[in-house]
Amino acid sequence: MATVEERVKAVTAQVLKITPEQIKLEDSFTADLGAQSIQSVELVAMFEEEFGIEMEEDVALSVTSVGEAIKFITEVCKQQGVVIEE
Amino acid sequence: MDNARKKHPLVDTEKPNLLKDTFTYNLPPFIKFEGPVVENIGGKPVEFDFTAVKDRDIHITDTTFRDGQQARPPYTIDQMVHIYDLMSRLGGPNGVIRQTEFFLYTKNDRETLDRCRALGHKYPECTGWIRAIKGDFRLVKEAGLKETGMLTSCSDYHIFHKLKFRSRAECMDRYCEVVEAAFEAGVRPRCHLEDITRADLDGFVFPFVDRLMEMSSQVPPELSAKIRLCDTMGFGVSYPGVELPRSIPKLIYKLKYECGVPSDCLEWHGHNDFHKVHTNAGTAWLYGCDAVNTTLFGFGERTGNPPLESSIFEYIALKGDLCGIDTMVITELADYMRSIGIPIPDNYPFAGKCFNTTRAGIHADGLRRDTQIYNIFDTEKLLGRPPRIAITDKSGTDGVVHWVNDFFGLKGGDRVSKIKIHKLARWVIDQYEEHGRLTAISDQELEAKTKELLPEYWEEYKADQK
Repeated sequence: MATVEERVKAVTAQVLKITPEQIKLEDSFTADLGAQSIQSVELVAMFEEEFGIEMEEDVALSVTSVGEAIKFITEVCKQQGVVIEE
Repeated sequence: MDNARKKHPLVDTEKPNLLKDTFTYNLPPFIKFEGPVVENIGGKPVEFDFTAVKDRDIHITDTTFRDGQQARPPYTIDQMVHIYDLMSRLGGPNGVIRQTEFFLYTKNDRETLDRCRALGHKYPECTGWIRAIKGDFRLVKEAGLKETGMLTSCSDYHIFHKLKFRSRAECMDRYCEVVEAAFEAGVRPRCHLEDITRADLDGFVFPFVDRLMEMSSQVPPELSAKIRLCDTMGFGVSYPGVELPRSIPKLIYKLKYECGVPSDCLEWHGHNDFHKVHTNAGTAWLYGCDAVNTTLFGFGERTGNPPLESSIFEYIALKGDLCGIDTMVITELADYMRSIGIPIPDNYPFAGKCFNTTRAGIHADGLRRDTQIYNIFDTEKLLGRPPRIAITDKSGTDGVVHWVNDFFGLKGGDRVSKIKIHKLARWVIDQYEEHGRLTAISDQELEAKTKELLPEYWEEYKADQK
């Protein structure tokens, strides 16, 4: 099973139409990777689908960087009993 | 003027002050006054107490079927009877809409009047409108009306250039003959002082009104002549300090205190040629006219008259109470007008299709969090019109999610989040960014796309309604 980081980068690359190799943990989704408002929402939606979780909208949309997203998704998966590869 | 500056320290708090004493939301925001208002009249300061308006019998009169018809093809009899019926419900049992006036010249005019009266409503009382010609007065007597307006034009533009009188004295005598005829027939005359804001007040208007008051003193109080101040060209100005004849405060003051016309005999009739019509009507109320004359949706000669529905909300704001008014009828009237082919601009206050529709995504986000942020009052409760979002390139996901929640009728914790509608939001954005669309997206288009892209919600919320 791929790690959370690999899966987050894969989803991000797909939504933002870039390659996973271009994505660094410290990258901001908007400032560095160029995510527009709708893409931020699409990222959250696709993370939910990828991991089979439900995220609280305002909290999820306040996550700014890739590294923070990995940490946040990991916590939500644990809270919701979803098995992941860290 | 004291130029001393004052420090304004921040009053920090974690609890918002939403000024609910004024902005109650369940009613239009109240208009409150503090202290007297001073106007210089004849070189002397005169105080006006606007707080008295709460206890005065201010009211609305209507001329939808007279001035309102001068700007458009005539209504059918059935249409007028239906509008009259709705108007009665709108004004309520206390007669906030006190009177409406009818032409009396044609068979249709008289049939309309008869059918409206046959409905048996106490308010609005039906009155007539005639020229100040003795021959016209026969029509009022035949109709059996208690009150009629009569055109007593008062500027020299009218006296000399339109009516071709040789002198003001001849004009005044002619007008007074008709007023006398009204008194003799037991009909109350309402003198429409056409073009008063462009008239020689000291030279004609005040002497004429003096004479009317003198004549009125000889008849029972219920027959006393009423004075309608007709701002025919919209020249009236509400600001303090303006000179006569354009000053509304001074005009009303002089008629009331120098000519002795009581407030219940003073009525303001405005026109909107300078976009001042609603404020001027409200000003007339405050300075002493008990009645403001209006038309539904402001339809009237040229640029129109004070909109009746705006005066309704002004009335509530001044009184701080609905006073028996059924504001929901405004929406019914607007729908009816549209159904008979009378357009109301989409952005027209209180009645246009988009009067409380926002297009900007940032406003939509505000509405999503709290409708009171971008809604003037509880438009759903008072008009049956919840705030709406029109979907365009400016709407963003906030606008789309607001539309979806409205469409499914979801409130509170049942509302869906932006995350759940991202496919629909993407479709909207692509319409503009990928397909170069320039127009707003209609509700019908969005409905079809919602069914396609959000089938789970459609199934849950729309299937139940079928």
